[in-house]
Amino acid sequence: MTAHLDSGTNPPAQLPRIGQHDPVAQQVPVLQHGGYDQLDDHELLRLHVAGNPDTFGFLVKRHRDRMWAVAIRTLGEPEEAADALQEAFISAFRRADSFRGDAKVTTWLHRIVVNACLDRIRRRQVRQADPLPEDEDRAAELAGPVEQDAAEVRERRLDVLNALKQINPDQRSALVLVDMEGYSIEEAASILGCAPGTVKSRCARGRARLLPLLRQWQTTRGGDSDLQDKASETAAGIMGTE
Amino acid sequence: MTDSGLPTSEHLEHLETDTIADLLENLLPAPEAHRAREHVKACPDCQLTYDALLQLSEDLADEGRSDIPMPADVAEHLDAVISAEAVRRASTVGVHSLAQIREEPHRHIPKLLGAAAAVVLIAAVGVGVVMATKDRAGENVANTNPTAILPTGVVSLTTAQIAPQVQQTLEGSSGVVLNASANEVSCAKSFAATRPNPEVRLVQPARIDGTRATILGLQGGSPRDIQVFVLTGCDAGGTTGTSIYDTTVTLRNR
Repeated sequence: MTAHLDSGTNPPAQLPRIGQHDPVAQQVPVLQHGGYDQLDDHELLRLHVAGNPDTFGFLVKRHRDRMWAVAIRTLGEPEEAADALQEAFISAFRRADSFRGDAKVTTWLHRIVVNACLDRIRRRQVRQADPLPEDEDRAAELAGPVEQDAAEVRERRLDVLNALKQINPDQRSALVLVDMEGYSIEEAASILGCAPGTVKSRCARGRARLLPLLRQWQTTRGGDSDLQDKASETAAGIMGTE
Repeated sequence: MTDSGLPTSEHLEHLETDTIADLLENLLPAPEAHRAREHVKACPDCQLTYDALLQLSEDLADEGRSDIPMPADVAEHLDAVISAEAVRRASTVGVHSLAQIREEPHRHIPKLLGAAAAVVLIAAVGVGVVMATKDRAGENVANTNPTAILPTGVVSLTTAQIAPQVQQTLEGSSGVVLNASANEVSCAKSFAATRPNPEVRLVQPARIDGTRATILGLQGGSPRDIQVFVLTGCDAGGTTGTSIYDTTVTLRNR
């Protein structure tokens, strides 16, 4: 599915990666202020609130791959994810002064991104009930630039993203928050604006939908016999307590 | 096989995956949960499904811990949008963070100019949202803060973009935004004086569909309403503006 993407061997020069000093990128004047990579997130945000025009952009660069992952998993469509992230970051830019210093900046940003994604899902649900049709070419682009990851990592990422796209958006949001992003049921309920029981139910049903879609992925990872062995162990652990 | 006289797994239909998933989340009522649990213990197939569901959560958590590289075009566009936002904020900084500018003038002003330079650079790459600017800092009128050098310039817009641009600019500002030269502002104010409510909120030099014009925002009937006029004749030393387009914008959060 991804083979055609592997033809480009030269990574795009303008792709700045966190922690990697790209000589091309360093010639761009906006980065010449320098030294920001030494500052932690809190300090960058503090400077932004104090009026510094550069530090917020720096913060965005530092965390955009994490936030992209959240957005693309929740929304499934690159255009939607890009729009949601843009909204989220502009919103964060404008209300940075409301950030409480005792939290992690990433937690705060993450929450803003999640909310922007959920807003889009709600708006989309109003517009149309059906998910957008699957498109192989676009699906491949979901997994990000080719050159950065091993083929199997990309393959797995694509499988998960494509499987997530096939389940109902409510179940998907709950699963992304709880299983993938590690929010507690209560936190997810508060973000989603529904009862904890609803979140549990959406997660359960979402997993039941995903299972057949990802079973091949699971068995190829562990091998059938492995899975079976592991299965019996886990079962013994969990069922034995009853 | 079981203690309660339940049929053995061979005689029992397999559980639905939904039921097993519900069992894992403790969503089943007690008697049903008990029966399901007993069945899973006795039925290798359902046991497999049970464990596969557990494994699925772990695998999703694994996958969730990995970032996904943002595509280069999305990242570029996002950078441009953030830079534009920084310039927009800087252009109203006389209102917003005057205190900090006064505190640390040497620290801020070069960076404001840096941001303006960034926008020129990014506009060259061809991002639609971003203002195409010419550096006309010398002509600026800073209405509230004589020390702030406002990055300004002629914004290139289509007619359809006028209202959103005015909205975006004024929503980020709690005061008056004058991004034009003193002469252009004065010309726009003369036009405003002919209106029922001459309170000026915005004067922005613009190129609308290729025509050099001046966007004038006047306070409307309610605090959130802005009457927008597009004037010709106020640039290049003109003193009389003629409205070629008008609309009303309603601001949010105000």
